[in-house]
Amino acid sequence: MRIDSLKRVVAQTRKELTELLRDRLAIALALLLPLIQLALLGSSFALIVRDLPIIVQDYDDSTASRELIDQFRASLTFRIVPWPTDSKPDIAFANGQARGALVIPRDFGRHIARGMNADVQIIVDGSDANTAKLVSGYAGGVVRSFNQAHGGGPMPTGVQTAIRFWYNPSLSSQKFYAPGIFVMALSMFPPLLATLAMAREGELKTILQVYVSNISAHEFVLGKVLAFVAVGLAEASVLLVFLFSFFGIRLAGDPTPFVLSTLLYTFCVASFGVMVGAAIPNQGAAMQAVMFGGFLLVFMLSGLMFPLSNVPVGLRWISILVWARYYIEIVRDAFLQGGGWPAVWWKVLAIGVIGTGFYAVAWRRMRRMQLEM
Amino acid sequence: MFARFDRLVSHRFIALVRKELNQIKRDRRIMLSLILPPLLQLMLFGSVMNPSVTNLQLGVVDDSRTPVSRDLVAALGQSGTFRLRTLYASTGAMGDAISKGTIDAGVVIPYDFARDLARGRPVTVQVLLNAMNANTAAISQGYIQGVVQSFNQTLRHPPVQTAIQPMPAAAQRGVALLKPTLLYNPGGVTTWFIVTGLLGVLLLMNGTITASTTMVKEREAGTLEQLLMTPASISEIIVAKIAPPFFLLGITGLVAMAVLQFYFHVPFRGSVTLLVVTSALCLLCGIGIGTAVATVTKSAQQAQLAIFFLNPPLISLSGALMPAEAMPSWMRPFTVVNPVYHYGVIARATLIKGSGFIDLWPNVVALLIFAIVLVSVSVWRFRRQLG
Repeated sequence: MRIDSLKRVVAQTRKELTELLRDRLAIALALLLPLIQLALLGSSFALIVRDLPIIVQDYDDSTASRELIDQFRASLTFRIVPWPTDSKPDIAFANGQARGALVIPRDFGRHIARGMNADVQIIVDGSDANTAKLVSGYAGGVVRSFNQAHGGGPMPTGVQTAIRFWYNPSLSSQKFYAPGIFVMALSMFPPLLATLAMAREGELKTILQVYVSNISAHEFVLGKVLAFVAVGLAEASVLLVFLFSFFGIRLAGDPTPFVLSTLLYTFCVASFGVMVGAAIPNQGAAMQAVMFGGFLLVFMLSGLMFPLSNVPVGLRWISILVWARYYIEIVRDAFLQGGGWPAVWWKVLAIGVIGTGFYAVAWRRMRRMQLEM
Repeated sequence: MFARFDRLVSHRFIALVRKELNQIKRDRRIMLSLILPPLLQLMLFGSVMNPSVTNLQLGVVDDSRTPVSRDLVAALGQSGTFRLRTLYASTGAMGDAISKGTIDAGVVIPYDFARDLARGRPVTVQVLLNAMNANTAAISQGYIQGVVQSFNQTLRHPPVQTAIQPMPAAAQRGVALLKPTLLYNPGGVTTWFIVTGLLGVLLLMNGTITASTTMVKEREAGTLEQLLMTPASISEIIVAKIAPPFFLLGITGLVAMAVLQFYFHVPFRGSVTLLVVTSALCLLCGIGIGTAVATVTKSAQQAQLAIFFLNPPLISLSGALMPAEAMPSWMRPFTVVNPVYHYGVIARATLIKGSGFIDLWPNVVALLIFAIVLVSVSVWRFRRQLG
């Protein structure tokens, strides 16, 4: 009896995979496009600017001021572009030639030599406020190192900071964003394929054959879900190889929570796709629904791009239900933080609960339509 | 030229436009999808996508337990960047809290902090930052160093200082103090950057989607042949097809600008005319892409899929949501061939910086070229398909 049931599940899965492998577009959707997306978005998502053009207005023209300018020139963040001292920096900002201006007042060198403090101004283009804040922070660092190199030092008696960047010492944006894009690809493509396959059965009415056959709702849904779990896992392995090789990302700690949650997550997204496909027997509409859940919600409310704590409270509660949010946190923990089970156990659980919920809805939907045997 | 223009506004053309408008009016879904989603997306994305660094949870290990050390901790928590969460007994406990994610940053103040400060010796305070998110970490670093610098400034004057022995001549030089100024946006509002970029993203996204669906629909229904049998020329048919969604989306774009002004309080410093004209160009680019896609795909569903794969790279390589300067250098040249990039530059510069055409003409010209090329390619494809 149970063996029979298992056989039917396996048969359903095999049928689904065979159908998929025949469809070249589907294979591209499953494997190639996620890879392109990961390569493109994973590399382009970054907030930390490099090589930002700045202009220098040196009204002092002393040894000290030139040394300060050299410090700026040596920094990777800034690139000094020539600008005449007699024209206003606003003009360079307005046409985008420069994003910052370093203004060194007259008598800067003299003040420094006399042991007085001298003010230097950095004017930053505030139209991109985040970059502006970064840039003023970096400029502060450059000036501090100038002070240190020139014996003045930041107050011989003062407090000094030794800042340690944990988990990402090189401050690489890719280490943060690439795993996030991995999660986004996994949240998008397997459910998309699952929903198309399921909605197609509804559209072509082949679902009626299923209703009258002796396969039970559980067997049918489970067979479908397992097929797309397999698709998801294949996609995950391809993407992981790419993450490891192209982005140079490594596991930071205990991989078991990651492995288990990946299994659960593929189950969760496959069930989501099957559920949507079962609820909306129209491929176009079902696709839009999956795009909303698999792309829009993930993109906005999972902490993929920007911290969730910045989301207004009225919208933030929705993120509790966004399955990708938990998986993103687990993936980032596995690749960067290495907190392991104590840090993420409840997130693994949350994915399981949400996935089971999707599965239950898909199953109920099928059950209602099935003939009583 | 005039003759051609005359032909375009002929009765045939007006009749075609009326047919399209009636079709749109009758289909409530299209009507809604032209106006509602762009505005919702703008408001939603604009309020959700925010890179600002605020309310980071700060843990403290204060081994000094003196008024001075408490002053430093209070100074760190003064602005909204850090929020003091917990005092930890040991560095180990604090490290565990960081790895669990309960706190984002930790400060360790050594036990001889106050004593060394009073004696005029330098003291090192250790700061641990969870740097997973590089942007947050880099901004917090700048912030912490700024706070510590001004904390040192307040230390400069206490009477203890007067007892210090004269320093050797080499160290007697003064220090340079940096005064950062944010031009155009002194409050450092981060949403201005996102919403000005979103404007272009929305114009492109909705332009491509509506154009491809309206173009494919006629073919799917098999009514395209009927249209071809009317005395109207192919260009008339295409222009009549493009015009209604163009104007409707254009109105949506204007409403979106009002949202920018009144909901997000983006300053309108520059020429609104320039912005409106370039918005129209950006919209035309979107419609051109959508029409071209519609000519190579067979069904609405395929068109939808194709658009869905075309838009993410266009958006992610546009510098609309994240600064283009942060992209790896091999990717940056691609932004030049992206209409969304040029429109983003124009929108940001005119609205926030008040730049005019003289400053932005290269971007405007690029946008114009893209619009012309994309629309003519789509017309050419359309024509060839029917011919």
